[in-house]
Amino acid sequence: MGEKQNLLSLEDVCIGYETPTGTVRAVVNATLSLSAGDTLGIVGESGSGKSTLAHGILRLLPKTAVVTGRMMFQDVDLLRCDAKTLKDLRWKDIAVVFQKSMNSLSPVHKVGEQIVDIYRVHVPQATKEEVYDRMRHLLSVVNLPDRVLDLYPHQLSGGMLQRISISLSLIHQPKLVIFDEATTALDVVTQGQVLSEIRRLQSEMHVTSILITHDVSVVAETCRRVAVMYAGHLMEVGPVDQVLVSPRHPYTQGLLASFPSLSGARRRLRGIPGTLPDLKAEPKGCVFAPRCPKAFDRCHESMPPAVDTGTGCTVKCHLEGSER
Amino acid sequence: MSTATISTNLTKRRLREFAGAFMRNRQAVIGLSLLTFILLVAILAPVLAPYDPYALIGNLLEAPSKAHPMGTDNLGRDVLSRVIYGTRVSLLIGTIAAALSGILGTSIGATAGFFGGKTDAILSEVIDIVLMIPTFFLILIVVALMGSNMLNVMVVIGLTSWPGNARLMRSQALSLRTRTFVQAARATGESEWRILFRYIIPNGIFPVVSNTTMQVATAILTEASLSFLGLGDPNLVSWGQMIFNGRTYISSAWWVAAFPGIAIVITVAAFYMIGDGLNKVLNPKLRS
Amino acid sequence: MGRYLGKRSLTGLLTVIVVLVLNFFLIHLAPGDPITILAGMDNPSQELIDITKAKYGLDKPIYVQLWTYIKTLLKGDLGHSIIQARPVSQLIMERLGNTLLLTLTSAVLALVIGTALGIAASRKPGSALDNVLSLIAYVLYSMPGFWLGLMLILLFSSTLRLFPTSGMVDARASYTGIAYVLDVLKHMVLPVGTLTLIGIPGYFRITKASLAQVLKDDYNTLFLAAGMDEKKIFRKYCFRNAILPTITTFGMRLAYVIAGSATVEIVFAWPGMGRLVMSAINTRDYPLLMGVYLVTSVSVAVWMILVDIFYAIADPRIRYS
Ligand SMILES: Nc1ncnc2c1ncn2[C@@H]1O[C@H](COP(=O)(O)OP(=O)(O)OP(=O)(O)O)[C@@H](O)[C@H]1O
Ligand SMILES: [Mg+2]
Repeated sequence: MGEKQNLLSLEDVCIGYETPTGTVRAVVNATLSLSAGDTLGIVGESGSGKSTLAHGILRLLPKTAVVTGRMMFQDVDLLRCDAKTLKDLRWKDIAVVFQKSMNSLSPVHKVGEQIVDIYRVHVPQATKEEVYDRMRHLLSVVNLPDRVLDLYPHQLSGGMLQRISISLSLIHQPKLVIFDEATTALDVVTQGQVLSEIRRLQSEMHVTSILITHDVSVVAETCRRVAVMYAGHLMEVGPVDQVLVSPRHPYTQGLLASFPSLSGARRRLRGIPGTLPDLKAEPKGCVFAPRCPKAFDRCHESMPPAVDTGTGCTVKCHLEGSER
Repeated sequence: MSTATISTNLTKRRLREFAGAFMRNRQAVIGLSLLTFILLVAILAPVLAPYDPYALIGNLLEAPSKAHPMGTDNLGRDVLSRVIYGTRVSLLIGTIAAALSGILGTSIGATAGFFGGKTDAILSEVIDIVLMIPTFFLILIVVALMGSNMLNVMVVIGLTSWPGNARLMRSQALSLRTRTFVQAARATGESEWRILFRYIIPNGIFPVVSNTTMQVATAILTEASLSFLGLGDPNLVSWGQMIFNGRTYISSAWWVAAFPGIAIVITVAAFYMIGDGLNKVLNPKLRS
Repeated sequence: MGRYLGKRSLTGLLTVIVVLVLNFFLIHLAPGDPITILAGMDNPSQELIDITKAKYGLDKPIYVQLWTYIKTLLKGDLGHSIIQARPVSQLIMERLGNTLLLTLTSAVLALVIGTALGIAASRKPGSALDNVLSLIAYVLYSMPGFWLGLMLILLFSSTLRLFPTSGMVDARASYTGIAYVLDVLKHMVLPVGTLTLIGIPGYFRITKASLAQVLKDDYNTLFLAAGMDEKKIFRKYCFRNAILPTITTFGMRLAYVIAGSATVEIVFAWPGMGRLVMSAINTRDYPLLMGVYLVTSVSVAVWMILVDIFYAIADPRIRYS
């Protein structure tokens, strides 16, 4: 069975944030698997739960977050493993490039010092020189001079910090790297450069990666598989050449309609009228029903389950199965 | 919708959200209850006080008893009645001094932040300088030279404590002046000063309000210290002066100095708590 | 950074000038004759009037007077206290050491205790410890220092008879050597205790606030994701980021060591600046009062600039801008 080769598999993962005014259901029944060497894109509007899912995988969520379901990384149960196992896994096997890379280093310590500390978590006896040597190579991959190591974060531009974060994520040659909006904060030119660097890393260093973005074209250029996320639900998951070419879910269709052509000029999501629902309210029907152009009676009554279409895709929509 | 309505709606919505959050903040609620109690005491002083606070009615330095729950002072006056009447003086001096500082700080800070350029450069320098002048001694000298009446004390405290407010208001004005509703108002031809008073100040005043609340507390403490140094208004019943009078008898008649001090702590804490609460509620970063 | 420090120094210099001018005009605006104020007594003799007039140029136009006044001060002549028949600067120098002994000791104690308690409370926000400490901080923060001093006297001297109530040494015994030091230490306990207790809430609150802020900073997530120990993150990264506001507060508080303890000194009859000020007020010794004010404000201005320089060195964000 192909199951064995799965690097990461999520089963019915739910993540809720407890707040004084109710629980924010940020991720609901997410089921997903990723095999070694694969690249998965997660797209969705702002607030759809992409970062929450990414943080959940490394158990980095705040104490207010409640996580249920199963998350397996190889043969480790990420949600239930002990602190030691988790710590050994962090950065050595799974690394993250955070959405807010600009702020993800301490402002009063030099970049190099922080990187040395991070490296020594798993290789305690490493000397500063060894770490610098390793970083020098990784920095050259993202086109940065190694003098950045002797600077403070505020002396670097947002794009430079982003590249540092990317090379820092590769320092232990992890099996899985999660890029959380690694390019969103960059200008178009830099974004293009960083993306092509990521693509090169994927092919040269054989990293499995998850690329989180709200830009469908980025996924189209970079990923093999894609998951479309809406209001905490993975609405449609499948190979890029299927999901982005012949989308089955009305939300994916709307999402793609707002991009005139995948290689053309990028535009913000505007194609679907309406806004994300309030994640605190327990919806009666499908979360997308209020905005869905094809909604019918059943859509307002229950949330559709994830259905395997038989072509390697799973879709959460009542139209699946009812049509045929 | 006119820009004025947008701005008013913004203010109204913020006020409503704010009131809800404020009432959910524990220390704000405690502070507010204490303040209500203190206000009632001040208003009802003639009803609550068992004796005339100035009358020499009992024996000298009589220990607390049924007749005099807080004892009598070195002139035979009832300490409880004096503590009750002292509430009025503290509140009056505290609020007027803080209000003066709030008004000064708001106008100076808003002018600096809104007009920017040279005006800002000069006013900011003034703010920095006044911020660096040690105020307590200045107040002390002015009161010593000009006479220790209540008006002098209030005015001097107000005139020396505004820079903090000015800084807060300045940064608010700096960010507000680029907002759409301000630019819209400008486009419709409203005058700069009108924009300042109708849009900038009402929308940016919130941090100044919490700071001013804290300044009431500081002003009450300053007045108490002045009185303790013998620079209080001799015609008033003030807690600081009661402690000043009582300090000689601290070993033999502790009640003369102890009770007014407790009154100060409660009153000052009430204002600090409200100010802190306002601050937490207004500053989303501090919300837990 | 050079420009920044230049600008701050300019502000400091301007502050000193403003204080001088303010002092000058206070003398002239005050009810009564400037001569009596500058001469330092109510009914100066004709001879003294003439001397004072000549010294400060009181018969010249007001701007010349201002200049003369500033020139006199720049020479280090803070005026003359007639009541004590001595130069003001001499009186101040005599008392300064005693005051610094109190204020510096309590400043350091308050910093250490306040910060430690702040860290302890931040470990578990909302815990019983946090709540109790925060309540105590509120109460102490709202307490006039002189009143707390009186209450400590009531408790520890009058009732428990543990410590002396006033002064710096026992006047009846004439100790020398170690015995003298011990005697001074015994006299210091209550005034230092009072000042420390009053100072603690400031550090407690600032530590709590900046730690709460810093613990939410994004680098925490990165280091956690990298598998670093929470303890190590706290000790190395959070602490360094959180401690800067505490250090600034400490620095700024130090600016007020000369005059900040006046009322507490008076309570304990400590022979420091506070007593000097009190007697100046009681005897209407204006030259003395103004001399103390000038020294205080100039030292505050100078000190604040030094704190800024230190801060600029400690925080790379300022150092390189
Ligand atoms: N600590 C938290 N407490 C409560 N709610 C939270 C918290 N963090 C995130 N949320 C909520 O969870 C939802 C999902 O947030 P998340 O950051 O995962 O979205 P996202 O898809 O990454 O959005 P973006 O594209 O803007 O990064 C949002 O509605 C957000 O408001
Ligand atoms: Mg995100």
